[in-house]
Amino acid sequence: MSHAPSTHEQHGGHEHGAHDHGGMAKYVYVFFALCFLTTLSFLTYSDYWPQSLARHEVKRMFMMAVSCTKAMLVILFFMHVKYEANWKYVLTIPASMMSIFLMLALVPDVGARVHGMFGYGGSYSPERLEYVGKQADVDAMKQATMTVIGEHGAEHEGGAHEPGSVEEGKAVQKGQAEVEKEIK
Amino acid sequence: MATVAHGHHDSHADHGHPPKLVYQPALPLSNGKLFMWLFLSTEIMFFAALIGVFIVIRFGAIVWPLTHAVHLSEPIGAINTFVLLMSSVTVVLALEHARNNNSQMAKYFLTGTFVLGSIFLGIKAYEYNAKFQHGIYPWSPRSRIYERPDVYFGSAVRARVNELLAELKAAPAGEGAEKSAEQAAADAEREKLLNDLLAEASSTKEADLALLASKIMPMPLSETHAHHGGLNEEHPWLKMPVVIPGGNMWASTYFLLTGFHAIHVIIGLIVFGILLTMTFNASNAVIIENIGLYWHFVDLVWIFLFPLLYLF
Repeated sequence: MSHAPSTHEQHGGHEHGAHDHGGMAKYVYVFFALCFLTTLSFLTYSDYWPQSLARHEVKRMFMMAVSCTKAMLVILFFMHVKYEANWKYVLTIPASMMSIFLMLALVPDVGARVHGMFGYGGSYSPERLEYVGKQADVDAMKQATMTVIGEHGAEHEGGAHEPGSVEEGKAVQKGQAEVEKEIK
Repeated sequence: MATVAHGHHDSHADHGHPPKLVYQPALPLSNGKLFMWLFLSTEIMFFAALIGVFIVIRFGAIVWPLTHAVHLSEPIGAINTFVLLMSSVTVVLALEHARNNNSQMAKYFLTGTFVLGSIFLGIKAYEYNAKFQHGIYPWSPRSRIYERPDVYFGSAVRARVNELLAELKAAPAGEGAEKSAEQAAADAEREKLLNDLLAEASSTKEADLALLASKIMPMPLSETHAHHGGLNEEHPWLKMPVVIPGGNMWASTYFLLTGFHAIHVIIGLIVFGILLTMTFNASNAVIIENIGLYWHFVDLVWIFLFPLLYLF
């Protein structure tokens, strides 16, 4: 009788083993799927990303969806949760609820910030506003960088110092166009 | 549910003999596994808090630096992701082999996990070093990041220049002998550079200071624009203050998130190191399973950290 718990566990272990017989190949397939998904998250940066979906928000949602899919693969297969008994729901459902509550609770926090999603104004103190970087500083730095690159490119016309000096010039022009696009 | 075990001598009424109860487990999993899942739920809370704070700060910030402005390399982050995914596969294969009583293969795969985890830490150390080289540290005064090309930045540049000039003048000419001609020429060049910087940093106009900041460390113009050299890279001894709008908050959150994750990786590696001294078979494979759960969780956190930090 006192052996009951251990036989139960052994029984569970054996069941587990039977379930995963020939399962090593499955783990490798899951690994390849994860690698593919990791590559997918770079898709938003590539030329294949459709221009109509070029908004930051869409790209970020896509990346988060990819991350959640990868997480589900790791949880279900590597952590064996797919093959566990019903206790897994006791663990995962309250945790999922709490994570959704956390996200909802943080939304007003983001909204109340200076450059929040809903355009609410300042919770930065005047002292902080004095030191913090602003868009004007970013623009000033980009302008200054373009000037510096322009001078640098003119000095090293032969391209001896930087092999990409011609490319640099093109990049500067491209960068300038992109900066103007970003400002718009 | 408890059942009562019946002994041989039941005949005499023995009131001091309590019934022998045998308990069935409430959950079909071992104590160790239950503990590990409970511990992981606390870890989830921990990282959810950190990631939540990062999201609030990131999307609540007035400006946030581009990845190339803070010398972040997405391919290196992707390689790290790949390394951690592989280590997750090796630990799960080690478990399978241990369950099938292949102790030797289990040990190989555990070693593989340990090595891959160490590679992850090595790449992280390389990344951290790249940040430090550019003056990006988790906090001041180590951190040389200024948010704006303002008079505070100008005065910091002047302070650093004066420090270097003092060092140059105080440099001992070895063994009382005169400096070699090359040494003297190099010193003269350094002095000229420093004096030029001093002159530029003495301006109070922000446009001039922005120009100086761009010379010290140029700012990438867009996500795809390559990172250029600048004086700090050409002359590593300069270590001038740099201007990265939004850089301080970025550094703070980046080092916090990746630092805590790296601490968890180190703890995992210590445990794997201990596991490598043991031999595993079907009877104690559950140890690998439980430690594997922790390791998969570490991988899971990185799966979320990677796009948040590198791609957003």
